[in-house]
Amino acid sequence: MHAGRGSPSRFGIVILIAIGGLTAAGRLLAADAPLSFERDIRPILRAHCLDCHGAGDGFEGSLDLRQVRSMDRGGDSGPAILRGDAGASLLVARIRSGEMPPSTLKVKPEELELLERWVAAGAPTARPEPETIPPGLGITPEEREWWSFRPLVRPPLPAVANPDLVAQPIDAFLLARLEAVGLSFSPPADRATLIRRASIDLLGLPPSAEEVEAFVADPDPAAFEHLVDRLLASPRYGERWARHWLDVAGYADSAGATQDDPPRPYAWKYRDWVVRALNADVPFDRFLVEQLAGDELVPPPHAQLPPESIDRLTATGFLRMAADGTAGGGDPESRNRVVADTLGIVSSALLGLTVGCAQCHDHRYDPIPQSDYYALRALFEPALDPQAWKAPNERLLSLFTDADRARSAEIEAEAVAASQELETKQAAAIAAALEKELLKHPEDLREKLGAAARTAEKDRTPEQQQLLKERPSVNISPGVLYQYDQAAADELKALGEKIAAIRARKPVEDFLHVLAEPPGHLPVTRVFHRGDHRQPKGEVGPADLQVTGSEGETALPADDSTLPTSGRRLAWARRLTSGRHPLLGRVIVNRLWMHHFGRGIVGTPADFGRLGERPSHPELLDWLAVEFADSGWSLKRFHRTILLSTAWRQASLRRPELDGIDADNRLVGRMPVRRLEAEAVRDRILAAAGTLDPTPFGNAVPVVADDAGEFVVKDSIPRRSLWVEQRRSMPVQFLATFDAPTMQTNCDRRIHATAAGQALLLMNGDFALAQARRMADAALAAAGTPIADDAPVDAEAQGLAPAVTFAWRRAYGRSPAAEEAADANGFLADELTILRGAAAEIAAPTERRARALANLCQQLLSSNEFLHVD
Amino acid sequence: MSTDQPSQRSGQGSRNDAAAGHALGRRRFLADTGFGLGAMALADLLGQEGLLANPTKPSFEPAFNDLRARSAHFPPRATAMISLFMHGGPAHMDLTDPKPELQRLDGTDYGGEVAYSFVNRASKRLLGSPWKFSPCGQSGTQISELLPCLQRIADDICLVRSMHTGHNGHEVSIRYFHGGIPAALGRPTLGSWLTYALGSESRNLPSYMVLVDPEGHPVDGVSNWSSGFIPPLFQGTALRAKEPRIPNLVPPPWLAGPIQARNLAFLDRLNRRHREGHPGESDLDARIASYELAARMQLSATDALDISQETEATHRLYGLDDPVTKEYGTRCLIARRLVERGVRFVQLFLGGQPWDNHTNIREGLPAICRRTDKPAAALVSDLKSRGMLDTTLVHWGGEIGRLPVTEGEGSGCGRDHNGQGFSIWMAGGGVKPGIAFGETDEVGHRAVTDIVTPNDWQATVLRLFGLDHERLVYRHDGVEQRLTAGRSARIVDGILA
Repeated sequence: MHAGRGSPSRFGIVILIAIGGLTAAGRLLAADAPLSFERDIRPILRAHCLDCHGAGDGFEGSLDLRQVRSMDRGGDSGPAILRGDAGASLLVARIRSGEMPPSTLKVKPEELELLERWVAAGAPTARPEPETIPPGLGITPEEREWWSFRPLVRPPLPAVANPDLVAQPIDAFLLARLEAVGLSFSPPADRATLIRRASIDLLGLPPSAEEVEAFVADPDPAAFEHLVDRLLASPRYGERWARHWLDVAGYADSAGATQDDPPRPYAWKYRDWVVRALNADVPFDRFLVEQLAGDELVPPPHAQLPPESIDRLTATGFLRMAADGTAGGGDPESRNRVVADTLGIVSSALLGLTVGCAQCHDHRYDPIPQSDYYALRALFEPALDPQAWKAPNERLLSLFTDADRARSAEIEAEAVAASQELETKQAAAIAAALEKELLKHPEDLREKLGAAARTAEKDRTPEQQQLLKERPSVNISPGVLYQYDQAAADELKALGEKIAAIRARKPVEDFLHVLAEPPGHLPVTRVFHRGDHRQPKGEVGPADLQVTGSEGETALPADDSTLPTSGRRLAWARRLTSGRHPLLGRVIVNRLWMHHFGRGIVGTPADFGRLGERPSHPELLDWLAVEFADSGWSLKRFHRTILLSTAWRQASLRRPELDGIDADNRLVGRMPVRRLEAEAVRDRILAAAGTLDPTPFGNAVPVVADDAGEFVVKDSIPRRSLWVEQRRSMPVQFLATFDAPTMQTNCDRRIHATAAGQALLLMNGDFALAQARRMADAALAAAGTPIADDAPVDAEAQGLAPAVTFAWRRAYGRSPAAEEAADANGFLADELTILRGAAAEIAAPTERRARALANLCQQLLSSNEFLHVD
Repeated sequence: MSTDQPSQRSGQGSRNDAAAGHALGRRRFLADTGFGLGAMALADLLGQEGLLANPTKPSFEPAFNDLRARSAHFPPRATAMISLFMHGGPAHMDLTDPKPELQRLDGTDYGGEVAYSFVNRASKRLLGSPWKFSPCGQSGTQISELLPCLQRIADDICLVRSMHTGHNGHEVSIRYFHGGIPAALGRPTLGSWLTYALGSESRNLPSYMVLVDPEGHPVDGVSNWSSGFIPPLFQGTALRAKEPRIPNLVPPPWLAGPIQARNLAFLDRLNRRHREGHPGESDLDARIASYELAARMQLSATDALDISQETEATHRLYGLDDPVTKEYGTRCLIARRLVERGVRFVQLFLGGQPWDNHTNIREGLPAICRRTDKPAAALVSDLKSRGMLDTTLVHWGGEIGRLPVTEGEGSGCGRDHNGQGFSIWMAGGGVKPGIAFGETDEVGHRAVTDIVTPNDWQATVLRLFGLDHERLVYRHDGVEQRLTAGRSARIVDGILA
């Protein structure tokens, strides 16, 4: 978006982690498989040719490449292929010469080779082709066979050689694959590692040293289960996992899209709703239905609402997250962009497909006809209708109740009464001042002057006006009364303040930022030719993507007669959460898996299509999706299943035998070492420094530009990063540097780069330095035994040993080992020696100790052990 | 879809997908991007422009997200630029644009229409320049006695006397110069566009640096070096007057030197002990390396700012021996040192509005000239003697000029804003030296011959860098954005060497 001016980024060589994996190359089959048009050739033609030679209303050069039959027939230049003779086939020749396709994206050599082999083999088809086919690309059985479109069924658990290692069903799926390549799980991680890992995973915050020690010492064999339950019950859990969901929802506290990036002052209510829903373990199906159609569940009028209705409406904030440049009402272009972006968020978050590619034409790689895009749009159009647009300020729903209004009116009456008193007193004071003032003027003029002054300004005769112009001092207005009678003016001022104070007691009108479909609004949705809203064509009705169901089964009712609204989104939301939706279930559990294991079973969480990655464990993915739905959509139950698995409790240590076969760890033969996300880095620093303010919820903590133009948290307010304002145009430097997204639409996956800029922020940045100092002050205060001011430097460093231990425990949740303590001692002695030679105020014993310790703390906060979790 | 990008919805994932085809396994590599604190946040910003955006008009311009040096559209004349921004409105008829007719009519009422900013103090009485002009150098360019050092380099500069914004207000015209549209705030600035298009030649320094005045920021503050809707990677980095001079890149004084060296050594020991328990974790190695790299960058920045390495003669050349010129001279000298180290775009601002001589111009104008004339001329001479002027474009100028009529009366009088006609000068980087280009009317109110707007100037500057202003595009929210914003902009051929 326009977002981003801000800052963050400037210094740094980026060392980035490329995520490898199975990609589109996988579609090229082994050379010995018999070729067929439908499975092997059509996808190539679909990507490169069918846009002009098949999908449209007419065929370029009269050539239709949708069937082999029509290739034989050919176009204006003659037959496209000569079966059995690739060299004589025009199709091959045109592609080989680079003449076709005309775009910059050419057919790959291996694809061309496949095409040639297929023509040479006589251009076989998988089955006889019909004489005629309807217009458009349609969806072939082969395309329906794509892994992510197949019906969801619960796969059987695979057999494993070592069933002792199967703590949870998921372990069986993972272990079977590992065993197949002669491997097994890594040994379990030690308890100290486990509690840190679990705490960061579920809460985004580390455990205290005391918590670590208690867990390590807990003799109960079920100690880890208890720990997981305790963590899941923590309110910090919702704060951590809300961040994951807000990423895919594209949460921001501003509207973006235009240069002024207007704030969305009530967006945070949706953010708070997500946190509360997660903490309450609202079943995921309800969680989703309310976000997609909460308004359809609340009968109008939307006034005097009970709390559960307010909740449901708040949830629709999800559909108001798109960047939006229509503050002034918007033009058709900008309104349609909001609709498209909303669809983009919804489809990448829930369907895991690049549905937006079908906005202009049939999807090049995946079986999403253009009409499917508009069928999805028809689900939203009654509420998001560019023809009947609601500008951002019209989306605010007042939460004022009748009681609030009555109270407000009561207070206003009180204020009016006080105002009348003020006016009376003011008039009297002015009259008195005038009498006094008149005495300063010639006696014969006084009567006339007084009359002129007392006459209201608009009623004065020209003569009176002239008179007052000559003698302006008798024209006493409330504003200048103080010049005549200070005491009266003071009294009136106090009275004015009293009136203001009365009005300030009125209940504050609060708002929600919602999507609420107007009752009975059923606009017609049309396919836009080439995605251009100025060229509406054929009408489409609401439907889910065709590939998500059997033929004809995906259409949804255009109007639900039992609801005042169209019911379209509600019907779709219920379809998505049926428990057997092929995309939603897989997409959601893949995301959850990704957050627990650092990478999804499918590495491209927003692309389950041909250009995405294939699942490493397709059966596991299906099992999770079915299990998640069948066990009541409980997220906490899901987390528990994962954390209690053998897989999740593995050590992270690399093993040569594993690295040799599976360096990417796609088989999950160990746990990865992961860098904390931006928010977790900042929060952990605040926690280590002891400054973290755990206050949840409410208005966003403001972000401001500092004197160099970098965006920082206002007044360094130490609230958790989740609560910090997410103004699209003002990314907080610290967070952005650690790869927090700046929302344009949404973020389907975080990256974890290592950049010199991160190092510089930790070495020199105000935030790191200030927090290190706070941590040092706390360590010094906790150190106990005072050190003599004149202690020699070694004794001084030695005297700081308890502070070092304190710092270590705050940073790492453990005490320093002997070697570490010795190193720290040497470091402090060194620094103290230097500081002793510094200016007097620095060299003073307490200050130099605090500084030396702050330097030590800063290094702890900058270290790999602090920034990563095993 | 019009490209083979798998997804452009949300960037981060997609970028990696695109990279995955080339990456063997989970391998880390040094993306040699030079500067880019949090550069990876960009992935998200950049990934967004995209498919849904403007389906009918695909763009073939790539979007950049790093500071790797890139080639221009044409062979460039300039590879770096130093802009001495003289905001406030230097009085061109007193400095660079002599008007004999104005001198003749001094004290009489102007017959034409005047475009005032402050009508309550407006006057039509013409005010001849109190200062003398003389022809300078071989070229004979007329320059005022207020700028004696500029007089001496007259043959090196290309003076443009026909600038025109059409708007008298400071903000309106400043934003026009920086961002391409009058009054529009928050657009990417010229420096952002240049670094976006060309990347950085420096691995260790920000590619776009702003040297701010210790006395404060210009109007609009930090927005003057905003990257607008293009990623923050391309935003200007302020070199502050107070320590730490470059936030985050340079440590605060109490940390600098042996203390930080020991800190980093201690950190390194912590990390190496930790690594022993994590054999083969190259992410951890990368972070260890990132601290080493950061330390080198810091050293390099510190080195760039260390003017004690310069000779006594250079110090004198820039006026560092004179309290009046020392501050500005230091910044001009640092600007040269930055460009020498590969920084692409350096801009100097002044605190407040020293050229905004509404009153008391007889004292105010000489004062700001004394402060800036010598350092500015020294910069040109110094670049020239080092052989850097050929490829370094120096720009001196404000956003407006001043009116030929008086504002106020008597010795305390001044001149009001004038965006209708004013002067700037440039040197090096492929502009024609020793010329005066364009003209204002007989009293200097309006540009009349060879009018140059900020958009013309921007198109010309880009051209000097080998860039076509029409082709330098960033897609933002589905719209192809350009520095010149689709407004009329011509390349001013007459000033190209």
